Amino acid sequence: MPHILVIEDDEITAREIVLELAVHGISADRVHDGLQGLQRAREPHYDAITLDLMLPGMDGLSLVKQLRDSGITTPVLMISALGDVDERVRGLRAGGDDYLTKPFAPDEMAARIEVLLRRHRQEQPAQTKLRVADLELDMITRIARRGGRELTLLPTEYRLLEFLMRYPGQVLTRAMIFESVWGLRFDPGTNLIDVHIARLRRKVDIDGEPSLIRTMRGSGYRLG
Amino acid sequence: MVNPAKNLSIHWRATTSRLLLAYGVFFVIWGMVLLGSIYWETLHYLESRTDMQLQQQITYLRSLDREHMLIALNDYVILERTNYNAWGLFDAHGKWEYGDILQFPTGLMVDSASVRLPTEKVVGGPFAPPTPTLSVIAAHLPDGEVLVLAHTTRIAARVGSIILHALWWGLSFTLVPGLIGGLILNRGPRRRIRQIESATQPIMRGDLRQRLPVGKRGDELDRLAAIVNDMLDQIEQLMGEVKGVCDSIAHDLRTPLTRLRSQLYRVQQQMREEDPNAALIERCTTDIDEVLARFRALLRISELEDRRRREGFVAVDLGRTLQQVYELYAPLAEDQQQHLVLEADQGLIVQADPDLLFEALGNLVGNAIKFTPPGGHVALRAIRTGPDVAHIEVADSGPGIPEEQRQAVWQRFYRGDGNREEAGHGLGLSIVAAIAKLHDFELRIDGDETGTRMGMDCRLQLPA
Repeated sequence: MPHILVIEDDEITAREIVLELAVHGISADRVHDGLQGLQRAREPHYDAITLDLMLPGMDGLSLVKQLRDSGITTPVLMISALGDVDERVRGLRAGGDDYLTKPFAPDEMAARIEVLLRRHRQEQPAQTKLRVADLELDMITRIARRGGRELTLLPTEYRLLEFLMRYPGQVLTRAMIFESVWGLRFDPGTNLIDVHIARLRRKVDIDGEPSLIRTMRGSGYRLG
Repeated sequence: MVNPAKNLSIHWRATTSRLLLAYGVFFVIWGMVLLGSIYWETLHYLESRTDMQLQQQITYLRSLDREHMLIALNDYVILERTNYNAWGLFDAHGKWEYGDILQFPTGLMVDSASVRLPTEKVVGGPFAPPTPTLSVIAAHLPDGEVLVLAHTTRIAARVGSIILHALWWGLSFTLVPGLIGGLILNRGPRRRIRQIESATQPIMRGDLRQRLPVGKRGDELDRLAAIVNDMLDQIEQLMGEVKGVCDSIAHDLRTPLTRLRSQLYRVQQQMREEDPNAALIERCTTDIDEVLARFRALLRISELEDRRRREGFVAVDLGRTLQQVYELYAPLAEDQQQHLVLEADQGLIVQADPDLLFEALGNLVGNAIKFTPPGGHVALRAIRTGPDVAHIEVADSGPGIPEEQRQAVWQRFYRGDGNREEAGHGLGLSIVAAIAKLHDFELRIDGDETGTRMGMDCRLQLPA
C-alpha cells in the first residue's frame, strides 16, 4: 500500500486529499507547515508527496529545492492557488514532478498521484515493451499489436496509446492526457480528446468485444 | 483617401478659420466705414472749396466793368478748360445774351449760395462735361443783368474714385494674405489633432494604458488632452476594479463549485452502473465542469492581459506549429465531416511563446470547426504577405459573421445571435485576442455569408 506525505496548511483541502487518497487505497500522513514538512519528507518510507506552495515556516518552492539538493527523489505533486503559467514553470524547475492548481477535483489529484507513483516505480528497469492484456507495444520498433494483428497508427495515435499503456488500469484525466501526449496545458474542450480516443479505439478494439479503453464517468479514461 | 471637398469643409469648421472669417468681415466693414468717412469729409471739403471759389469769382466779376468782365469770363473759361467752367449772361428778364449757358437753369436762385444741379439742366450739346453735376451760382450785376457761373465737380469725383480704389486694394492686400496665413496657421493645430486622433486609436481598441500626447505649450489643446488623460486614468482605474471584481467572483466561486463537483463525484462512485440516477449525476458533473471551464478561461484571459513581459518568447516556426495544430484538430474536423486543410509557407519564423501561439491557433480552429456545418471545410493557413510580415488565418465555410459584429467577437462572453444554442463559453476568441495582443499581432476578421476568415498579422523574425 503506497504511503503519501501531505504537506498542506489548509484544513479542508488536507482532509479532502487524505479522504480521496484513501478511496484509491493510498494511506497518507499530514503535516501543517514547511519546516516540519521538509523534515518528514526526508524520511525514506514515503512514495510520494503532495506539497502546498504557500506554507507557514518555509514555502513550497524552497522546500522542494532543498529536498532535491539533498538527493531525495520522492515524486512531488505541487498544489498552488496560483494558476499562473510562470508559477507552474518555476515549480517544475525547482524540482516538482507535477503541478495542480487549487481548487482541484480530488479525482484529478488522485489520478496524478497514481501516475507519479507508477512513473517512479517504472524508472528503475528501462522497458522496451509495454504489454496490457493482448495489446503489445514495442517502443524500439514503434509497432503495436493486438493479439498478433499489427495496428497501423499515426504518430499522435502512437503517442496516445503509449501513454495509456504506461499506466494500465489507472484513470487518466483528459487534462493529464493533453499535457502528457501533446505537452499542452490549455483547455481544448472535452470533445477534442474524446475524438482522439474514439479514433484510437477504432484501431485497437475488436468488433463485438468491449472496448479496451474504458470511459470513466466524470473523470477520464482507463486502459484495461 | 481624404475627399478634397470634405478636407475644405474641415478647414472651414476649424476654430481658427471661423475666427479668421469673423475678423475678415469685421475688418472689411471697419475699413469701409473708415474710408467712407474720409471720402465723405474730403468730398464735403472740396465742394465747399468750389462753392467758395465760385462765390469769390462772381463777386470779383461783378466789381468789373462790363467789357473787362466779358474778357475775364473768356479767359476764365479758356484757362480752366480742363476743369470745365461755363458761364451765361442774361438780361433782367432772363433772356440769354452771352456765354455757353444758353438758358437760365431752373431751380437756381439768384444772389444766393451756389447749388449743385444736374449737368443736362445747365449745359447741353457737345460742350457738356462728363460729370453728372455742376456747381452753379447766379448773381445780379449792377445794371440788372444776371450772371451765371458753373464749375464741374470733377476733382471731387476723382478723389472719390481714388479713395474707392484705395479701399479695394487695401482690402485685397490685407484679406488675401490674411486668409492664406490663416490656413497655414491652421495647419499646426490640425496636425496636433491628427496626432491626438492616432493616439486615441489604440484606446478605442481597448488599450486603456495609452494616453494622449500633451505638449509643453499648455494651450487649449494641451489642456484638453490633459483633461482627457485624467479621465482615462479614472476609466482605467474603474475598469481595473470591475475586472478585479469579476476575477474575484470567478476565483471565489471555483472553490465551492469544485467541492460540489467532488461530492457529486463521490456519490457517483458509490452508485451501481445501472442506477438510473447515474446519468443525471453525470450531466450535473458535466455542467459544473463547464462552469469551471468558463471561470478558468476568464481568469486565464485576465492573466494574459496582465502579462506584459515577453519572457518565454522564442523563435517559432509557424509551419511546424500549424502542422501540430492541424494534427490535433484534424480528427475533430473529420468527426464533424469537415475537411481541414493546411497551407503553410516555409521558413516563417516569429518571436512568440510557442504554447500560447498554439493555444490561440487551436482556439481559432476549434471555433471554426464548431460553426461550420457538416460537409464544409476549414483551412489553416500561414502566408508570407510582405518581406517581414506573415498572415496566419483560419478560414471556414460557416455562416459568416455580420460586419457590424466582427469586432465584438473578441469580447468576453460574446456569442453571435444565431449561435446561442451552440456549446462553448464564448471566451475562446477573447483568449485569442489576449494572446495576439501580448504578441503585438494584429487581429483581422474578414469574410462574407459564405464563410469567415479570422487571423492575425505577425512580424517575422528576419534571418540574422
